[in-house]
Amino acid sequence: MNIIRSSVVALAVAALTASASLAQSTKDYGKPLTLMVKTPISSILKDPKAYEGKRVQVEGTIVEVCEERGCWIRIASDKEFEAIRFKVQDGVITFPMEAKGKVALAEGVVAITNLTREQAVEQAREMAKERGTLGSFDPSKIKGPVTDVQITGEGARVK
Amino acid sequence: MPGQTTGVRIPWRRWSIVLHRDVGYLAVAMTLAYAISGIAVNHIADWNPNYRISKSFVAVAPITATTTPEMIAAAVERLGLSAAPKGTFRPDPQTLQLFYKERVYHVDLPTGKVMIESTVPRRVLYEMNQLHLNHPKNAWTYIADLYALSLILLAVTGLFVLKGKQGITRRGGWLTAAGTLVPVGYWLLYVQ
Repeated sequence: MNIIRSSVVALAVAALTASASLAQSTKDYGKPLTLMVKTPISSILKDPKAYEGKRVQVEGTIVEVCEERGCWIRIASDKEFEAIRFKVQDGVITFPMEAKGKVALAEGVVAITNLTREQAVEQAREMAKERGTLGSFDPSKIKGPVTDVQITGEGARVK
Repeated sequence: MPGQTTGVRIPWRRWSIVLHRDVGYLAVAMTLAYAISGIAVNHIADWNPNYRISKSFVAVAPITATTTPEMIAAAVERLGLSAAPKGTFRPDPQTLQLFYKERVYHVDLPTGKVMIESTVPRRVLYEMNQLHLNHPKNAWTYIADLYALSLILLAVTGLFVLKGKQGITRRGGWLTAAGTLVPVGYWLLYVQ
């Protein structure tokens, strides 16, 4: 009986320890951050080709989170009216909706994708689905091919 | 004596029953959490299993301020908000977003129309989904592994709890075979 009691207590303590990490105010996601220098998001968006394939660390307010799976966030640029998508592998990192409005320090590799109009419509449709706005999605708003710039995310610190 | 075995006879069936019973008790809470969360996330295409997201609309006087800090101050005041937002963003020249806990205010500056987007975690279900999908990582990974091992143990010991016509050699065997056919048959017929 004592063994059972001890096992139950040990399991409960382990579960509480694991869940305690959920409640921390600063939370790390994925791989540890390694870069010492931050790159302004505006610089990446101004000249994406110069950063393509390069590992960068960016900082900014999280202005959007994937509603469906938490598999991407949009980080506001240091310049107004700009933000960049930080896409992580599904299931490996999951950003909570509560991250909206918090500041992210995020690291990953800049990726540029040239999309045809059809591909851009499909991507926008998928994004609308993840945002929960598929009902108001209007494909006619997407004109011509699109160059999509995003960061393939590896790790982030949200505070 | 000829034909007689020597040594200690291990009471396998008794051990199966004892393990099945006690591990079963230990696994009840985890099984319920994983099963309920399993149903919830299985239908993720149709609903958000983690959050209750709603949108409501209010109108305030148009905001004509010229700088972002002035716009934020005006919006906070007109919306009657008691605290400063934890973050702000302007996605385009006519929109201002104010981020609060579980709420985002999307203010259309020229018209004063405001969309309030509320995102509230589904209590208990949110926590169960977090654990089920191993979002905490760290120690929870090993606790979940332990739980998975206990399910294997429950499945195996469950086969040997009963003997006779209800046991694995007769009715239990047929039911086990039928249960095995479900995933195997589905895979062969619909997935491959």
